[in-house]
Amino acid sequence: MNTDEDDFVFYGTPIQREEELISRKKKAVAEASGHLRTLPSWKQEVRDEEGRRRFHGAFTGGFSAGYYNTAGSKEGWTPQTFTSSRKNRAEFKQQSMLNFLDEDEKEELEGRYLGTASQFDTFGFTAAEIARKQAEKEQQQRPSAVPGPAPDEIVLPATESIGVKLLLKMGWRHGHSINDSHANSLYKARREARKAFLAFSSDDAKSQPEDSEPGEEDHKRILDHPSVDGFSSSQSTPVYILNPKEDTHGLGYDPYKHAPEFREKKRTRVSGKQGHGNKQALSIKDSLFGLKSGRAAPGFGIGALEEYDAEDEDVYASVYEIEDTYIQEDEEPLRSNTENKPKLIWKEQGVLSGFKVALNSDYQLERFDPPVIPKDFLPHHKFPGPLEFDNKPDAPPEVPPPEDDNLKILIEGVATLVARCGKLFEDLSREKNQSNPLFSFLTGGNGHDYYSRKLWEEQQKRNGQKKIALDGKFSSSVDKMTVESRGKILGEMPLERSSRDLSSSIASVNVNLPFNLSDTFTKPESSSELPEVAKPFQDDPGKQARFEQFLKEKYQGGIRSTVSSGASNMSEAARARERLDFEAAAEVIEKGKFIKENKLHSQQLMGFSAIGGTQLTFGGLQQVKDTQDEDLATKKIYPRREEFQWRPSGILCKRFDLIDPYMGKPPPPPRMRSKMDSLIVTSDLKAMKMEEAFSADRNQPLALQFSPQEVSKDVVDRETEPEVQVENVERPVDLYKAIFSDDSDDEIEASNLNTKEDPEKKVEVVHSTLNRLMAGDFLESLGKELGLEVPPNPPYSANIAGSSRQKESAIPNPGNVNILSVEENSFSIPIAHSVSRKERAANDEKTEKKGESRKEESAKKGESPGPSEDKSDKVHSGKIAREVRKKAKLPPSLHRKRTSTSSEDERSRKRSRRHRHSSSDSYSDSSNDHRDRHHSRSKGRKKRSSREKTSSKKHHKHHKHGSKNSQ
Amino acid sequence: MSDVSELPSKEANVLKGHEGGVLAARFNSDGNYCLSCGKDRTIRLWNPHRGIHIKTYKSHGREVRDVHVTKDNSKLVSCGGDRQVFYWDVATGSVIRKFRGHGSEVNAVKFNEYASVVVSAGYDQSLRAWDCRSHSTEPIQIIDTFSDSVMSVCLTKTEIIAGSVDGTVRTFDIRIGREISDNLGQPVNCISMSNDDNCILAGCLDSTLRLLDRSTGELLQEYKGHICKSYKLDCCLTNTDAHVAGGSEDGYIYFWDLVDASVLSRFRAHSSVVTSVSYHPTDNCMVSASVDGTIKVWKA
Repeated sequence: MNTDEDDFVFYGTPIQREEELISRKKKAVAEASGHLRTLPSWKQEVRDEEGRRRFHGAFTGGFSAGYYNTAGSKEGWTPQTFTSSRKNRAEFKQQSMLNFLDEDEKEELEGRYLGTASQFDTFGFTAAEIARKQAEKEQQQRPSAVPGPAPDEIVLPATESIGVKLLLKMGWRHGHSINDSHANSLYKARREARKAFLAFSSDDAKSQPEDSEPGEEDHKRILDHPSVDGFSSSQSTPVYILNPKEDTHGLGYDPYKHAPEFREKKRTRVSGKQGHGNKQALSIKDSLFGLKSGRAAPGFGIGALEEYDAEDEDVYASVYEIEDTYIQEDEEPLRSNTENKPKLIWKEQGVLSGFKVALNSDYQLERFDPPVIPKDFLPHHKFPGPLEFDNKPDAPPEVPPPEDDNLKILIEGVATLVARCGKLFEDLSREKNQSNPLFSFLTGGNGHDYYSRKLWEEQQKRNGQKKIALDGKFSSSVDKMTVESRGKILGEMPLERSSRDLSSSIASVNVNLPFNLSDTFTKPESSSELPEVAKPFQDDPGKQARFEQFLKEKYQGGIRSTVSSGASNMSEAARARERLDFEAAAEVIEKGKFIKENKLHSQQLMGFSAIGGTQLTFGGLQQVKDTQDEDLATKKIYPRREEFQWRPSGILCKRFDLIDPYMGKPPPPPRMRSKMDSLIVTSDLKAMKMEEAFSADRNQPLALQFSPQEVSKDVVDRETEPEVQVENVERPVDLYKAIFSDDSDDEIEASNLNTKEDPEKKVEVVHSTLNRLMAGDFLESLGKELGLEVPPNPPYSANIAGSSRQKESAIPNPGNVNILSVEENSFSIPIAHSVSRKERAANDEKTEKKGESRKEESAKKGESPGPSEDKSDKVHSGKIAREVRKKAKLPPSLHRKRTSTSSEDERSRKRSRRHRHSSSDSYSDSSNDHRDRHHSRSKGRKKRSSREKTSSKKHHKHHKHGSKNSQ
Repeated sequence: MSDVSELPSKEANVLKGHEGGVLAARFNSDGNYCLSCGKDRTIRLWNPHRGIHIKTYKSHGREVRDVHVTKDNSKLVSCGGDRQVFYWDVATGSVIRKFRGHGSEVNAVKFNEYASVVVSAGYDQSLRAWDCRSHSTEPIQIIDTFSDSVMSVCLTKTEIIAGSVDGTVRTFDIRIGREISDNLGQPVNCISMSNDDNCILAGCLDSTLRLLDRSTGELLQEYKGHICKSYKLDCCLTNTDAHVAGGSEDGYIYFWDLVDASVLSRFRAHSSVVTSVSYHPTDNCMVSASVDGTIKVWKA
């Protein structure tokens, strides 16, 4: 518990443990009830409800003050009329005369009330008053759930006025409306039957008189004669039976308002008590799941802090819906009537709760009959004047369009508009543009011939269209209007069609939008079919037909019918899928991007389906392709295997008891870096600047970056590391190797293996570090050197890479002496190389033969994992080494490719080297102690985990040694 | 076929207790006990062979979607709609640790071989590895290369394998630091390993189970007949790797022959969606869980 809470910060005072409280209370109770009673009174101790004794202060009595805490008086404390003002404040009672009267005086007063004699108490006011009094009296006699006097609202007279009595004598009974008995004899009979039934189920009898179901009320209303209007609204003087309030809820509060299933439960309990067991079938489970489960998970809420959102919906809800259908049948009809129906009325008619719908309202909707249409009326409006041109019977001669394209377009546009809007427009524009030379064609200037020809053409078009429109109107009734017919009337047409028509009819290359648009409105679409191109499902005529239907519906707008004709035999899923298809296709067509080649179309469809496939909800409908070839295609595509670089975190490897494949490469930057690091970096400003200059084109490969990276420090790390996982940047790996081949990965691996090797080697390592320190600011000098040596052109660097590889492969012979650390080579090479080769080999194989690499990997997997890992690596190392050697002979261009594939691991290795160099460099700095502290801290952080074997720790050790030595 | 009679199709016990649907039922490693979790926010421990409810683990704030127990039966891990991964002590029933960090619901969770790491798969398109040894509640690794909800996760000694709705089964090999992604083209609902660790059975949302060769990524076989279109259903291989078992949304349990993919047996097991099936590690015994709130134990 405590360990768990270590990570948290607590605010506020914790709530006291419940058990503690309870135990004390229990003690108090036990003492109060049990053994206290057995004790003689002088041995009893007074304790409060918490079980504490009250201490009154040492000098004011201590525990024995106030008669041992019992009361303040000798005779004890017997409460009489006093009410403690502490807990229940003495309520302000309304005083009346009666409070000050004696009993006999009150009795005397009883008879002297002024009121209506019961015979003439038509409205029952006096009776109500008396009843209230009676109730009040009873109230005092019997205990009730509701304390205090009964409110007037719930106490209503049970007496009958003389009128009621008369009616009763005449054969009227409660619950009846006052009307001719024979008129609703049928209803009466039904009522009698129901009453009998009600009597049978006696537990509901008390609520019987007020059960006026809405259905029957309607029925009554129809049956009632309008002549007895005055009475029909209040069919009877209501007989109010006081339902004893058995519960302790507030008045009018319905605890089951939102949880009706519990009402059922309670009802069953009550009725079970009364012996009517026919509702027992309703189990708790049913009521729990049956009624409520629609929204949330059955029976369970969510925490107070959690918001209730879509995800809380019960996805399995449908399961329970089946169940509650048969629950309903078990229910007793009568009770549910009385309880549920009023609510139903409210809900149905939108009446505020507490209000009742008036049976007859004064307000009546005024209705007017539609005007009578003369029989000879034709529903066709004839426009007067302007549209009807003085039709020139002869067409103006065909005129070549004017040279000026703009003018031509203008003319055509105006012509179209004029044809559409009538002569008036022509006149208007002529007046307006009298001075404008562009519009001279209107007044017979340049291009007038063409204009008149164009105008004529347009008019011809319009006339034709109008005729068609009229025809359409006469032939088909209005409700049968389809897209085509309306299109004809409105002159609509799809855009791409019009453009093609234009290009054929008019010898214009320049199709410009306004004209095009206006044309779509003016030119009637004669063919009712879709353009040829819009047949994406040509291979399946049925589907094509459905698609066309779909398009029709789509362009018609409004609510689309869910059941498309012809597809009725399809399953819901298939239809939905097809719909998706259609939507996609329609969208493609709409965009005008539809190209006749089915290929592209299907590609786009594929795209759509792929999008759908990624969503879980669409998953079931995802198998969009119904043509078999496409099915085959998908089969060919899937399953598809890809491989990526992935870097497991060091600790994960540790926990899995595996060797980190990226061991030795620096971990991703720790979140908390000490400020010292950055300080060190800033001390080397020159290098920083260089770095920045080059970091701009970091994506450019190879030698360009070489020197800055060499010099720069953690900043680079920080900058590059986020990218590491994402991008595959080419890096001059082997160049590094050429220079630092001996100390980098070798050392890492060596240090990793140090645990297994004898301690003498550690000494060697220490020596090597010392050597490095002696070298002083070798980095700087090296950077300068390299800056001179390495020209920025890639081919050369590739060459260097090649040479470096050769150099590297030459390393194994120990005679190769390097400036930095010779000693390390001698022991660290074998394993280190085996590992690095293995990685490289994996990369190589990937680029060359995937299949082989798979085999290779599977072979690796086949071997026993875990501790025997390095052994297996060794087994492979020989083979891989050969491969590497082969690589070394490859031409430089190939090399470059290869280095590009070996992406992250090598890069990061590089970085590690850099890192180390920088740190070792820092020893020569004045910040030695900071470094040291930092390292020790990080070490301490790592120490938490028990199995600490990684190289990093070793490393710190080395550095420590080094620093000690330097000191 | 003599095989068919060996398939567990006789109802041996019905474990009742969950209120609302049961989302997962799992045998423990020796098959003597079984764990279930469900919409009632509880995890329950059962003895399926005697049909006894042993213990209830309550702490989750929302439905519990997956549960896994260590090999030594000492610890539990569970996850669910409350975006947390709970690490439990089996005996006391107390929560040892809560791993928070998933951005949304957590679909599946597993221990590794040594019960030192918990790997959880979330709706937030990520896999997260949590350290059980340290007190840290931060994930030690987040894998977020998935492009959709990760539905299921399996661990071997050296790999993390996860199936996602983006249609991929991704294998993260810790030894060589590689991610191998097998795209199936269909949302992957559930993955389970064959007992020889050479194959993955992937339940896809197109009502197909697919058997993949792990080393090559080849599709070895497809198993069809059941319905799996919108729920997260489990599938598994029998302990002999001779058959494939899977639930269906219509309440049936299906058994296929591993090699020729024929439906050997199908029977109505539950009144509604069979969410989970788990096969006994050694015997011919299986447990199935359903939305109808029951867990059934099947024996041959």
